Amino acid sequence: MLDDRFDDQMRDSAREYNTPPPTPKEEMWAAIQAKKTEESRTVITPLRPLRHLRPLRWPAAIAALLALGIGLGRLSAPPPAPVAPVRVASDTLPRTSDVAYRVATTEHLGQSEAFLTLFRASVRRGGNEQLASATARQLLATNRLLLDSPAASDARTRLLLQDLELVLAEIAQLSPRPSSPDLDLITEGLERGGVMSRLRTAVPSGASTTQGVL
Amino acid sequence: MHDQELIGRVLAGDPSAERALYDAHVDRVFRLVYRMAGDLDRAQDYTQETFIRAFGRLGEFRGEAALSTWLGSIAISITLNGLRKVKRSREREVVLDDSLAIGRITPEAEPDLKDRLAQAIDDLPDGYRVVFVMHDVEGYTHEEIASSLGVHPGTSKAQLFRARARLRESLADFVKE
Repeated sequence: MLDDRFDDQMRDSAREYNTPPPTPKEEMWAAIQAKKTEESRTVITPLRPLRHLRPLRWPAAIAALLALGIGLGRLSAPPPAPVAPVRVASDTLPRTSDVAYRVATTEHLGQSEAFLTLFRASVRRGGNEQLASATARQLLATNRLLLDSPAASDARTRLLLQDLELVLAEIAQLSPRPSSPDLDLITEGLERGGVMSRLRTAVPSGASTTQGVL
Repeated sequence: MHDQELIGRVLAGDPSAERALYDAHVDRVFRLVYRMAGDLDRAQDYTQETFIRAFGRLGEFRGEAALSTWLGSIAISITLNGLRKVKRSREREVVLDDSLAIGRITPEAEPDLKDRLAQAIDDLPDGYRVVFVMHDVEGYTHEEIASSLGVHPGTSKAQLFRARARLRESLADFVKE
């Protein structure tokens, strides 16, 4: 009984739930028309840029026709007879890539020689070797590339590059303030293996060596 | 003028028929949408969107249900989707609002039955709320509701029963008084 009375009361109150105001008919109609117009414009817009392409219609059609003709011609033509490979005299001449590797190796060895000469002189003077470590790392990277390249196919060059790698690696690993025994060890190594003299032999006189090192 | 005739004229591109169709149905659509949205701006937006979509899809209307029912189903779909978006954005702000509201409710500020009921209806799940508003507030029949929501009339009745039970629960302290 109490529930029924409450339900009636609830239904009466519910009729006032979000009571709507008078319908803003005209306002909404105007908005609907505006939106419809806007949407119809949006649909037309993407077609506009195509008008700019009208002058290109004929050239494009001719190009397409030519491409089609060439394609058909290739398809319908008899297959070409196999051509025997022609041997040329290039086998006897040094290839361009070999020359490039040789030039790169000579340049690298020249730069290394210049660097090691300066390094040894600096050690004797007791100078700062912080910069030497960075330069040695750069040269070491090039050295490793050359060791993995056809430049190392020549046994003498490979051996020189391998010895040079050891020396450059030692300098690259130097601490910012290296101790005298460390530096002595490096310079002794340079002398002992004859790295410097072999470098000088490998680098032709007059080659630009210091460029890019200093 | 009969709906079918109006639809034929609208599809033939008669703008006056479009307006006549709008005039015939806008009040009912707006009332329902406003009841659900509870906000004039949103109700206007959703009603406009309902008619724009209806005019765009009028060719798909098969006439199996009344045009008003078809419009009602579009309106409910648009309104519920719109309100879900609003709810999501409100949920993001709720943390701040909660912190500001602490300590404000006093026994003197206890709302009366209408306010409590309005809050309880707002809190109903969408499915219950739509049926309750359409039936108990706007006076739709279960057949109309079922057709608008694409459910069986029995489902509409069951949803209404559960909605009322939920409201009774929410307002239990008023029942005791």
